[in-house]
Amino acid sequence: MKRSRGFMIALVSMVVFVTGCFGGNNAETSKESKAVESQKPKEAAVAPGEAGGGKEAPMLAELVKAGKLPPLEERLPVASDIMIEPVVEEIGQFGGDWNMSWKGPADKWGVGMINEEALFRFNKEGKAVEPNVAKGYEVNDDSTVFTIHLREGMKWSDGMPFTADDVLFYWEHMLTKETFGKKIYDAYYSVDPVTGDKALAEVKKVDDYTFTVTHKYPSVQFLERVAIDNKWFFAPAHFHKTILPEFVGDAKTLEITKQWGYEDPKQFLVETGYYFWLHPEIPTLAAWVAKTDANSEQFVMERNPYYWKTDSEGNQLPYMDRIIENQIQDPSQQLLGTLAGKYNFATFDTANFTVLKENEKKGDFRVIPWTQPTWSSAGVQLNQTTKDPNLSKLFQDIRFREALSIGVNRQVVTDIVTSGLGEPIQASVPEGVIGYQEGWAQHWAEFEPERANQLLDEIGLTKRDKNNFRMFPDGSDLTLTVFESDTNKSAFLELLKKYYEDMGLKMNVKMVEGGALFDLKYANEVPIHTENISVANVAFRPDTMVPLRIITPWFGHYGLYTQSGGTEGVKPEGDVAAILDNWNKIKASKSKEEIDQLANEIYKLHMKNQWVIGYAGPTPMLLVASNKLRNIPEGLVWADEYRTVGHAHPAQFFLKQ
Amino acid sequence: MLQYSIKRIVMAIPVVIFISFIVFYIIQLPPGDYVSSYSAQMTAAGEIMTQDDMDQMRANLGLDRPVYEQYAIWIKKIVFEGDFGYSFNYNKPVIDVVKQYMGLTLVVSIVTMLFQYLVAIPIGIYTAVKQYSAGDYFFSGLSFLGMATPNFLLAIILMYFSYTWFGDPLLGLFSDEYVNAAWSWDKVVDLLKHLVIPVIVIGLASTADLIRVMRGQMLDELNKPNVVTARSKGLSETKILFKYPTRAALNPIVSTFGWSLSSIFTGSTITAIVLNLPIQGPVMYKALLGQDMYLAGSWLLFMALLTVLGTLISDILLAWLDPKIRTEFRGN
Repeated sequence: MKRSRGFMIALVSMVVFVTGCFGGNNAETSKESKAVESQKPKEAAVAPGEAGGGKEAPMLAELVKAGKLPPLEERLPVASDIMIEPVVEEIGQFGGDWNMSWKGPADKWGVGMINEEALFRFNKEGKAVEPNVAKGYEVNDDSTVFTIHLREGMKWSDGMPFTADDVLFYWEHMLTKETFGKKIYDAYYSVDPVTGDKALAEVKKVDDYTFTVTHKYPSVQFLERVAIDNKWFFAPAHFHKTILPEFVGDAKTLEITKQWGYEDPKQFLVETGYYFWLHPEIPTLAAWVAKTDANSEQFVMERNPYYWKTDSEGNQLPYMDRIIENQIQDPSQQLLGTLAGKYNFATFDTANFTVLKENEKKGDFRVIPWTQPTWSSAGVQLNQTTKDPNLSKLFQDIRFREALSIGVNRQVVTDIVTSGLGEPIQASVPEGVIGYQEGWAQHWAEFEPERANQLLDEIGLTKRDKNNFRMFPDGSDLTLTVFESDTNKSAFLELLKKYYEDMGLKMNVKMVEGGALFDLKYANEVPIHTENISVANVAFRPDTMVPLRIITPWFGHYGLYTQSGGTEGVKPEGDVAAILDNWNKIKASKSKEEIDQLANEIYKLHMKNQWVIGYAGPTPMLLVASNKLRNIPEGLVWADEYRTVGHAHPAQFFLKQ
Repeated sequence: MLQYSIKRIVMAIPVVIFISFIVFYIIQLPPGDYVSSYSAQMTAAGEIMTQDDMDQMRANLGLDRPVYEQYAIWIKKIVFEGDFGYSFNYNKPVIDVVKQYMGLTLVVSIVTMLFQYLVAIPIGIYTAVKQYSAGDYFFSGLSFLGMATPNFLLAIILMYFSYTWFGDPLLGLFSDEYVNAAWSWDKVVDLLKHLVIPVIVIGLASTADLIRVMRGQMLDELNKPNVVTARSKGLSETKILFKYPTRAALNPIVSTFGWSLSSIFTGSTITAIVLNLPIQGPVMYKALLGQDMYLAGSWLLFMALLTVLGTLISDILLAWLDPKIRTEFRGN
C-alpha cells in the first residue's frame, strides 16, 4: 500500500516537473500575444462621424487622442491624391473582425491575395488595368515609355513616406539583383518583332512621385503583365536597407538572419522580400498589417493606420479592424466552423454546396457564387510528348482524342462529379470569360460510343489481347496510365475507367503524393493527368496554354524545348508550333486589338485540338459570408490573376450592426 | 541494480546511433524532397515556380548536397551544438517548433494519462472483485466498445453532439477569444472545457484496454495462496485487496508505462487532426508529408530515444515495485 502510494506520488511529481519545464516557454509566447490583446479594439462598432468628428476608426481615434498617432490628415495622402474606393452596397461602419480559417503559412497566398495592393489592378471585368497604388500613367504612341505617377503624401504602414525612391530601390537593389529568389519577370523584357531580341527595360526617377519605365521595343501589355507578374513593383527601401547584404555586408545579414530565427540568408531574403506580408516587422501598403507570428494558432492582422484609401464620404478604409486567420488542420474544419458561425467568411468548391445551402438560415450566412475561368471540373490532359513513342504518336492523333472525348457519357460524369451543378460539356472557356468561343462547349461532347470505336479501329488499334483490350498495331501493350494525387478524384477516375475500357482501352490509375507528382511532371513521366486549366486571359498569363516551360502536363517537353532555347525537349510541330508562333507575335505586338485577335487564335487552336478533354463543365466558386458581412460583390470572376477575393476589394467589406 | 542500469544505458548508445542512421535513410526514401512538395503547394496556390527557382531554393537549403553529407552535417550539429537543424515549413529551428507545441502536448497527454489510470484501475479492480455482477457486465461491455471504436470516429460523433446541442463543435483547445490571450483563470476554464472531448477520445481505447488487463490480472491474483492465507489470518478484505492482488496486478501496467513515454510527448495524431488540436502529432505528420526532413528526422529520433529510455524506466520501476524481480536481480 505504502509503495503504491509512493509510486503515485512519484508519478504526480514527475508530471508537475515536466509541465513546469515547458510551461515557461508557454508563458513567454502568451506575453507576446498580450501586447496584441491590449490593442484589441472595443467591441462596439461606431458609425463613422460619431467618434468625435474624425473620419477614422474609433481604435485609431483613441490612439490619436493619446498622442500615439498623428492625426488623420497627416496620415492620408494629400487630398487630391487619396484613392476613393467605391463601395458595393453602402457606406460601411467601422469595427469588427474578419474571421477566417487557413492552413498556416502554407496558405500564405490565401491571406496575401485578399490583402494585396498592386501598382495597377484589374478592373471589374478583368479586361484592363486601373490605377491602384499608382495614381495614373501616360504612355507614348509606340508603347515604349510609360510614365507612372504615384500619390503624394502616401505612407508605408510605419508612417514613412512612399515615393518613387521605393520603386527605384526595388528595381535596382532587389528585382534586377534577384535577391528574393525570382528571376527578373518576363513583363520587364520587350521583344523585337523581327529578330526576337529580348531587352530589359530601364526604370528612371523623374521626381519624388513620378518614374518612367522605358522599353527598347513596344510593350503594349506592359501594365497588364506587371499586374500579373509583379503586382508590387516597389518595396520599403528604409526597411530593406537594414537587411540587404549590399548595404550592411554579408556578415551583418547573416547575423540578422540568425536573429530572425532563419538559417540561410538567401532564404531569409526570399521570405522578407517576397512573402513580406507575413512579417509584422516589414512595413506594407496593405489595408491590414501582420501583428502576430504566422505560425501561431491565430494569425492576426490589424488595420494599417496609414492606409491611403477612403470611401466616397472620406472615411478612411478599411472598415474592419482586424483579419483573424485561425489555423486548421483539415479542410472539413473550415466547413464545420462556418456552419457554427465561428468564421464569418470562407470559400468552398461546389462539393459542399448542398450542406451549405441546407444550413444557410441556421448559420445566418449567404452563399455567393463566383464564376471560375476553369475549363472543366473533370477532365484529362494527354501529354503530347510522353516518353513512349507509340503512346505519344497516339496522343498526337486528333482522331484518338476525339474518340476519348465522345466515348464517355458526360451526363453521368457530370451528375456524379458535380452533383448536377455543372453542365455535361467539353473542356472550354466558360461564357463571360475572355476567350469564350461559340460552339466550343459542344465540341465532341455527344456520347457516341459506336463512332468512338470506329475511330479507334481507323487509327489501327484493331488487335486485341486476351482480355479483349486493344493493342498497338505492332502488338505491344497499350495502357493509359493516369497519374493522380488528389483522392477526391477517385469517383471520376472510376467512371473514366469504365468508359475507356468499354472502348477496349486499358486504363490504370497511379496515386502519388503531390510533391512526387510535381517531380514526375518535370521529368516528363506523366502521360495523362487530370489537372484543370484555369486562365483568365491567355495574353496575360500564357503558362498553361502555351508551352513556354515545363509546367502543364498536356505539352510536357514541348515546354522544355522553348525554355532551353531548343537545346532540350521535343520540338513543337503543327498546331502547337502555331500556338507558340502566335504567342511570339503577341509579345512583339504594337496594338491591343492585334493582341486580342492573336490570343483568340490560340483559343481556337485549343478548341480544334482539344489536348485537354473535359467531361463535366466548370462549377462556380462559393463565397460564404455571414449575413452581417456586407459589401461583397456578386458574380465576379474568381481567378488567381485577379487575386481571388482581393478582386472584391475587401477594404470596403464591413460588419453591419 | 545500479550496475545493471549503467550497463543498459551504455548498450542503448549504439542503438541510438543506428536508429539515427535509419531515420535519416527512411526520410530520404520517398521520391522528391521538400522543394518539390513546396513547389507543388505554391503552384496550386497560383505561384509560378520555374526550374531555376527550385534549383536556387535547393541550393539555399543545402538539399543539393549528397545524402551522406547532409547526414554528417546534421549529426555534427546535434552532437556539438545541440542544434537539431532547421524546419523549412516553419522557417524556424527545429527546437523552436518543438518548444512551441510542447506545453499543450504535455497538458493533453498527461491529463489523458491521469484520466486513464484514475478510471481504469478502480474499474478494473471492481470488475474483478465483483466478477459476473451487473456492474462487471456493464463495464466490460463498455470497455469492449471502447476498444473497438476508432478514436477519430468517436471524435467526430462527440463533435457532432457538441455542435447540435451547444452549437459549438469545440474544435481546438481554446475559444477564439482566448487563443492569443494571456493566461488567466477564464482561459484555464476554457481550456478545461475544450479538453473534455480530446481526453475522452484519446484516452478511451487505452482506458478500455487497461480495464481488461487490470481485471484479468486481478482475477489471477485473487485466489493465490498468499491471499487465501491472509484471509484465513483474519485480515480485513480491503487490506488484503490492496496489499496483495492489486500490487501484483499493477505489474503489466507499470511495465508498459515506459512505452507510453513517447506517446506522451507526441500526443495522438489522427484524433488531433480531427479535433484541430495544436499539439505535436499533427506537426510531425505535416513534416513527414511535406518532407520537412530535419523536423521529421529530429522527431523520429526523439521518439526512438524516448522508447529506449521508456523501456529502461519500465525495467527499473518494475524492479522497484515487484520484490520477486528484485530478488532475481540479487540472485544474479
